[in-house]
Amino acid sequence: MLKKLSNFTIKSLLTFSGAFAGITVLFISIFLFKEGLGFFKKPAVEEGYSLYVNSKNRVEDFNSKKIKEIFDHEITNWNELGGEDVEILLFRMDNIFDYYSDEELGEEYEFLAEKLAEVIKEKEGIIAFVPHQYSPAEYSGVKELSVPNITPSDFFAGRDWLPTATPSPLFGTLPMLLGTLLVSFFAILFALPLGLGVAIYLSELAPEAIRKFLKPIIELLAGIPSIVYGFFGLVVLAPLVQKTFNLPVGETALTGSLILAIMALPTIISIAEDALRNTPRAMKEASLALGATHWQTIYRVIIPYSKSGISAAVVLGIGRAIGETMAVLMVTGNAALMPTSLFDPVRTIPATIAAELGEAPSGGAHYQALFLLGAILFIITLFISIAAEMISKKKNYKDM
Amino acid sequence: MRKLILLALAVVFGMSQLSAQKIKGSETVLPITQKAAELYLKVNPKAQVSVTGGGSGVGIAALIDGTTDLAQASRKIKFNERQKIQQSGNSVKEVAIAYDALAIIINPGNKVTKLTREQVEGMFTGKIKNWKEVGGEDMKVVPYSRETSSGTYEFFKESVLKNKNHMSGIMSMPANGAIIQSVKQTKGAIAYVGLAYVNKDVKAVHISYDKGKTYVEPSVKNAVNKTYPIVRPLYFYYLKKNESKVKAFVDYILSPAGQEIVKEVGYVNVK
Amino acid sequence: MNKRTKQKFAFFFFRLFSIIIVGILIAILGFIAVNGIKVINWEFLSSMPKEGMTEGGIFPAIVGTCYLIIGSMIFAVPLGVMAAIYTVEYAGNGKFVRFIRMMTNNLASIPSIVFGLFGMALFVKGLNFGDSIIAGSLTLGLLALPLIIRTSEEALKAVPESYRTGSYALGATKLQTIRKVVFPCALPNILTGIILSISRVSGETAPILFTVAAYFLPSLPDSIFSQAMALPYHLYVLATSGTDIEASRPMAYGTALVLVVIVLFFNLTATLLRQKLSKNMKNK
Repeated sequence: MLKKLSNFTIKSLLTFSGAFAGITVLFISIFLFKEGLGFFKKPAVEEGYSLYVNSKNRVEDFNSKKIKEIFDHEITNWNELGGEDVEILLFRMDNIFDYYSDEELGEEYEFLAEKLAEVIKEKEGIIAFVPHQYSPAEYSGVKELSVPNITPSDFFAGRDWLPTATPSPLFGTLPMLLGTLLVSFFAILFALPLGLGVAIYLSELAPEAIRKFLKPIIELLAGIPSIVYGFFGLVVLAPLVQKTFNLPVGETALTGSLILAIMALPTIISIAEDALRNTPRAMKEASLALGATHWQTIYRVIIPYSKSGISAAVVLGIGRAIGETMAVLMVTGNAALMPTSLFDPVRTIPATIAAELGEAPSGGAHYQALFLLGAILFIITLFISIAAEMISKKKNYKDM
Repeated sequence: MRKLILLALAVVFGMSQLSAQKIKGSETVLPITQKAAELYLKVNPKAQVSVTGGGSGVGIAALIDGTTDLAQASRKIKFNERQKIQQSGNSVKEVAIAYDALAIIINPGNKVTKLTREQVEGMFTGKIKNWKEVGGEDMKVVPYSRETSSGTYEFFKESVLKNKNHMSGIMSMPANGAIIQSVKQTKGAIAYVGLAYVNKDVKAVHISYDKGKTYVEPSVKNAVNKTYPIVRPLYFYYLKKNESKVKAFVDYILSPAGQEIVKEVGYVNVK
Repeated sequence: MNKRTKQKFAFFFFRLFSIIIVGILIAILGFIAVNGIKVINWEFLSSMPKEGMTEGGIFPAIVGTCYLIIGSMIFAVPLGVMAAIYTVEYAGNGKFVRFIRMMTNNLASIPSIVFGLFGMALFVKGLNFGDSIIAGSLTLGLLALPLIIRTSEEALKAVPESYRTGSYALGATKLQTIRKVVFPCALPNILTGIILSISRVSGETAPILFTVAAYFLPSLPDSIFSQAMALPYHLYVLATSGTDIEASRPMAYGTALVLVVIVLFFNLTATLLRQKLSKNMKNK
């Protein structure tokens, strides 16, 4: 009886362990989305605050971008937004002390809302950024601006990432998404010829002794921690890139791509080598017997045959590059700029999460935005991992 | 069973909480707290102190989330941050521990030695793109900023940029050390750091806040006599309910020995 | 061009590429070794950082990394090995197993920063562990899990079927067979996987950034709910912060060297062990 029970316990323990990895993946995805999706319910103005204008103001159409431009003095007259020809007067909480003394506002600031209303009523061009707590909206002459929530298009197509700007933070992720893809794409472009060459050398040409020597070297390359690559990039590669190409700065997309290329090499080499090795001997020998040289056999027979394996290597290499954090954070300059060339600094998604997660209090729009970025990263890598699996499955069909 | 484990964990947790002090936040304050923690332990060998950087925003966010005991900040706590703490039924205490003069730094090879506030604003908002516009060589201006988590970033935005945003797509560095490194390497660079971080690898420019009438060099002396315009207090923030726990360490920093550290590191003492 | 010359040309490049790879490795390791070896001495390894990280040593970071290795392995090894036993010995080849295998692969492909994000949301905030050794260990454990599962699976599969049938024939139950025959046989290979995952765990920075890492501790952590320093994060800090980046640069090189030596020691041990084991297998 006891034995049966312990058998049962062990078996359920094993089952649980077996399912644990799956549960974790599900858990991670649920968590990322649970924390992230609330983002689109956030108002475009900083939480807990509203914008108020004089009730004579006719301007209706606001969005976060326009609000940012108003508060950056880029839009200075209401007529630029379709209103009267009145100069815009910016008003933040602290400005109230330009109008009233501390005593006039009351001990607990109980008269603050009333006094705010007076100021707003008096100045026609005013736009005031005030916490809800002191909302002057109930007084006459004051109008609260209705600002729409953050939309998916603000997030995915927005070009400005200013997550702590007040009153209206901007969460445009397009530059980061493109930056991440650009850096990873060029990393693979650099790594693929090199990696494929080494894989061919290892599988076709290298004598056993050299192979035995090279394989551990490649594994060592894979073993070096990313922070060490980042350090190397920061101290050696960035100044080198700056000097070689005579650039104003050394922290560029190119520097990131080069470091990522080195980091993706081991993945590409080992998977591509496996694929090349799996070519049936008969096919190789048939080609050689027909008088083809070894090289012709390689690129006419072996490479086409292992195409899917090589594609899987490329895809997994990209996956490795897209998710890399620390090395990229240290060498790419982290400017959230639409990338126009390889010599510009870029900001990638993982680097953004690493740099900003600490400062974002849980539940705020910034925190949620970072989780959404994490979710995007998760989906991209999940997609890549499934794609790689399907590509290598396809090959099995061909075998049959 | 699970409840039991959780309970046990809670007990261990509670016990460790008694002695451990987590300090987190501003990179600018970091040199002070690091040194202070080192010396504090000599006086109080039983204390457990851990110091983490990341930026003022990180420290205050952790204070709101309850994952740190003491937040170090190089800017004042924001209104909405204070509100969040009050909403959870706590109140926050503020202690100024030092003053810092924020220095604007450029590459030593750059011939420019003085700038007005308006010129600096122009460079960081993207209006001034070439050094020859401010009397320097024909060379691209490369502004480096700190990450948005930085209190220095926020303070700079408020004081020098007059609340305007940094130009979008500015290069941002995770820490002051990285800023120094980049400014040293980049001929056209301009950046800002706390006084303690200025060294021979970079050049601090003289700043004018009166449209070019007087230019003042950032130094401890000029910060003390209040002639340098960009001076800010450095703060500790903690929750009132944790006061007994952090008091000893805060008092240590405010003591003559602690204020000596402040001076040694390169900031201005408050007492 | 003659096809022979073409071949010569192509093969020359492949050889060149292989030399380049070796060159890259030598450049990186050599750079770190040459610069790092200057500061490494007993004091550097055994004392606390002093004078704003420009003097003293990295002892707390080494200890912290050890704690994290131990903590993550306590969590990941039993779970990973049991998961492998389940999928290989019990689950057969049904849909469920294929699903599990796919999920394990997916878990392996998740970027380390996402683990950090998840670890912070669940362990640090959700379970209220705060920044602590336990939160960091659990996060790193999750990261190491797929690697341990996969290598253990392979190890178990490599045990010849005849061993199992032989054991059954002697009247042993399935559990006894696994415990007394299959597992001991697979153990060396499982160990290889564990060593490899230790190498991986000790070098990771992104997952510990928000779950455990401290900039400076004047004393060693005293409970699993304390923060800890760790070598990779310490290297990050030395490379990017500090009031005097030039003065702390030698410290950074030293830290990088210690980190690389630790990581590559485990890595190389695993590789050599695997090579030796596969030779033994062939000889049998």
